Amino acid sequence: MSEFLDGLRKQIGTRGSSAPARDAVCAAMIRHWCDAMEDGNPVYTDPDYAAKSSHGALVAPPAMLNAWTMVGLIPRDRARGGGDPQGSVLGELDAAGYTSVVASNSDHEYRRYLKIGDHLSGTLELVDVSAEKQTALGAGHFVTTQTTYHDQHGEEVGAMRFRILKFKPGTGRTRPSADGAATAEPAPRPLRPRPGISRDTRFFWDGVQQGELRIQECEGCQLLSHPPRVRCSRCGSYELGYRVASGRGQLYSFVEAHHPQVPGFDYPLTVGLIELEEGTRLLSQLIDVDPDHVEIGMPLEAAFVEVEPPPAAGQSGWKLPLFRPQRPERRETTLRFEDVEVGQRLAACPIPITTTRIVACAIASRDYQDVHHDRELAIKRGSPDIFMNILTSSGLGARYITDWAGPEARLRNLAIRLGAPNYPGDCMTVYGTVASKQVVDGVGVVGVEFRGTNRLGNHMTGTSELELPSGENG
Amino acid sequence: MTAKFAGKTAITGIGATEFSKDSGRSTLRLAVEACDAAIEDAGLTPADIDAIVTFTVDVNHEIDVARSLGIPQLTHFSRIHHSGGAACGTIHQAAMAVDSGACNNVLVYRAFNERSEDRFGTGVQGRRATADPIDVDFGWSSPFGLLTPASWVAMFATRYMHEYGATSEDFGRVSVADRRHAANNPKAFFYQKPITLEDHQNSRWIVKPLHLLDCCQESDGAQALVVTGLDRARDGRHAPAVIAAAAQGSAEDQQMMKSYYRDEITSIPEMGLCARQLYADTGCSADDIDAAIFYDHFTPLVLPQLEEFGFCKRGEAKDFVRDGNLELGGRLPINTNGGQLGEAYIHGMNGIAEGVRLVRGDSTNQPEKADNVLVTAGTAVPTSALILSRDR
Repeated sequence: MSEFLDGLRKQIGTRGSSAPARDAVCAAMIRHWCDAMEDGNPVYTDPDYAAKSSHGALVAPPAMLNAWTMVGLIPRDRARGGGDPQGSVLGELDAAGYTSVVASNSDHEYRRYLKIGDHLSGTLELVDVSAEKQTALGAGHFVTTQTTYHDQHGEEVGAMRFRILKFKPGTGRTRPSADGAATAEPAPRPLRPRPGISRDTRFFWDGVQQGELRIQECEGCQLLSHPPRVRCSRCGSYELGYRVASGRGQLYSFVEAHHPQVPGFDYPLTVGLIELEEGTRLLSQLIDVDPDHVEIGMPLEAAFVEVEPPPAAGQSGWKLPLFRPQRPERRETTLRFEDVEVGQRLAACPIPITTTRIVACAIASRDYQDVHHDRELAIKRGSPDIFMNILTSSGLGARYITDWAGPEARLRNLAIRLGAPNYPGDCMTVYGTVASKQVVDGVGVVGVEFRGTNRLGNHMTGTSELELPSGENG
Repeated sequence: MTAKFAGKTAITGIGATEFSKDSGRSTLRLAVEACDAAIEDAGLTPADIDAIVTFTVDVNHEIDVARSLGIPQLTHFSRIHHSGGAACGTIHQAAMAVDSGACNNVLVYRAFNERSEDRFGTGVQGRRATADPIDVDFGWSSPFGLLTPASWVAMFATRYMHEYGATSEDFGRVSVADRRHAANNPKAFFYQKPITLEDHQNSRWIVKPLHLLDCCQESDGAQALVVTGLDRARDGRHAPAVIAAAAQGSAEDQQMMKSYYRDEITSIPEMGLCARQLYADTGCSADDIDAAIFYDHFTPLVLPQLEEFGFCKRGEAKDFVRDGNLELGGRLPINTNGGQLGEAYIHGMNGIAEGVRLVRGDSTNQPEKADNVLVTAGTAVPTSALILSRDR
């Protein structure tokens, strides 16, 4: 083994040839990326806005840095010329059985924002190959590279340190049982209590199963009432219908239950009293938010969550209307350096993880690894499903920060480390804190620490430095 | 509106079992033992009892209690609804029945093995999802994990803290006062076990913002009382504890433990309704109340009770509870038996008995003056309250 590792490590320090991107920075790819990431920053896609901005013209989202030079769907043997140290090391690892790959770290440095027409080249250097490590996914080697990006004039525009794990599928912590049979099915999860439903309240629960949050409304005087009554207490009418609520509201009060722990629930459990936009309140569980980020007044929105398995294939399981934080609104005027304080929290941002999002973002970042779009192959490689690629995590992290800071905040760097994968059906909630604030060469630079957690744990932890304008002209 | 029966009846007898975590006896046995003691304390015999009032949630039938006690006949029997909200309601009902002429001597009781058999603290997790109104009601809370009395009260507490700036320590001061008084009461669970505010803060979370020491201890036991017309009461073994006023209250959009849909949820309007009736019937104001037994299954709702009864302004109970105001020697000694946090949780009935002891001058924490004592029943439910006074 050490001979094998020695062979790999001999290539450390070797540098590949400069590989040009297939296409110049272009509006179409930027738009595709912004659509997939749901990034509404107008400096990327609105030429008029961008022209009046400090950029003077459209710019590419900085987190796209390595998307421009991704090889796309070209077969690997043709994509990598001779002398590519990464390609050579990966090939040797493949041959030794380490056929699966996940990215673990991506550290971007942005020297300047890229403009339409910029044409990048990337030069890659092998920085490290680790000894074999046993990880949750399996036994494997971490491979670290450093890529430097230049534009068509030879100006260095950015750099990326990248770390991947090449591992042997099937050697992770979820192994077959000792007798060789497939891993036993986990015990079915105990069910939470179902509501008692009467003739008078059935409309509410029927609505929930159809993805509607219904509030009783008097057909005589339009009085809204929850919980429902059988007669309008204001006008006396028995003609009671319902209004479909927007599903948005604010947290009016909440508790964090610790004891007793009732089967069917995870603890600590946050239960909220939500005041809906329409004015009535209702109780619900808060999901996809850490208890210590819950506060009265926070904007919430309903999610119709299946809390029981479907009774038969093709049917829906019993649903409840649970509530998660609303995505924070994107700032339209950029924060000024003076207005930011160290320790300040960024509002939590939930990002529902769907198959569509994973696939759309992978393709938008020109990442055609099968584990990001092909469920069958992903399972064959030891994963329970497809999972989000690291460029998407970077892109969503960057979106989170610029949505908070405003359209003209400029990222200087963005570093993330990945943990638990983002699988379809999950929701990643991103949290951030202002960690530092300093003036560098007359420019206000703010450091932000952020993390994205899903139902499995921490998906990513990251840091970013961004430049913010100062003073009245900010 | 003033109540015709106000000041015309009295509590003449009190009796209880020991309070424990495991009584080792049936709840019927507990009920009968407590009733036996209360009748004895009133200087009566079972044959003198002609009415029984208890809680709808009490599992012991009045006819079974009567049969074991040897009560030959009953001309009035009734029950009061809404769990701990019924406590002072039983006395209210008894007083009205006596004053109306329906009966002469009313036996009131509450008995349960609430720790060893039927724990309330585990909540309503085992209920079936029927179309019965009670299950329809739980349907708005249980599927989301709000399953226990502590969690129902905690929802009010969080909002109260948010609006008025009250803190967990302010709730803790109620617990500290209760436990200081319990430490002096040999019948209390926590006899000789006072706590500090630090102990309170360090106790584990039950349902945040409620710590363990914000919650009463589940208890086995029974409490009984005898209500009689005031003239007859003056011939009893003890000085009568005059039922100067008793009232029930249920307010707009009232729900069981979860009146979360009102314009605001930081007050207790059903308790305010009781307060207005008690003060109207007696001519008293907060200034005339010498001591109080506040229903304290959980500490947070003691604060708005102080506000509803006018001991302080709305939102200012957090200031009132400081500086030892709630303790012996303070402006308003509360829960001199240790309360339900310190003595035992007998659904508020042991608090009424303590009110009687205060008026008699028999409390183990007897304040200098106890001419008028306020007693309240369950909070967050349709409730009741009374003022017991020294006979003049």
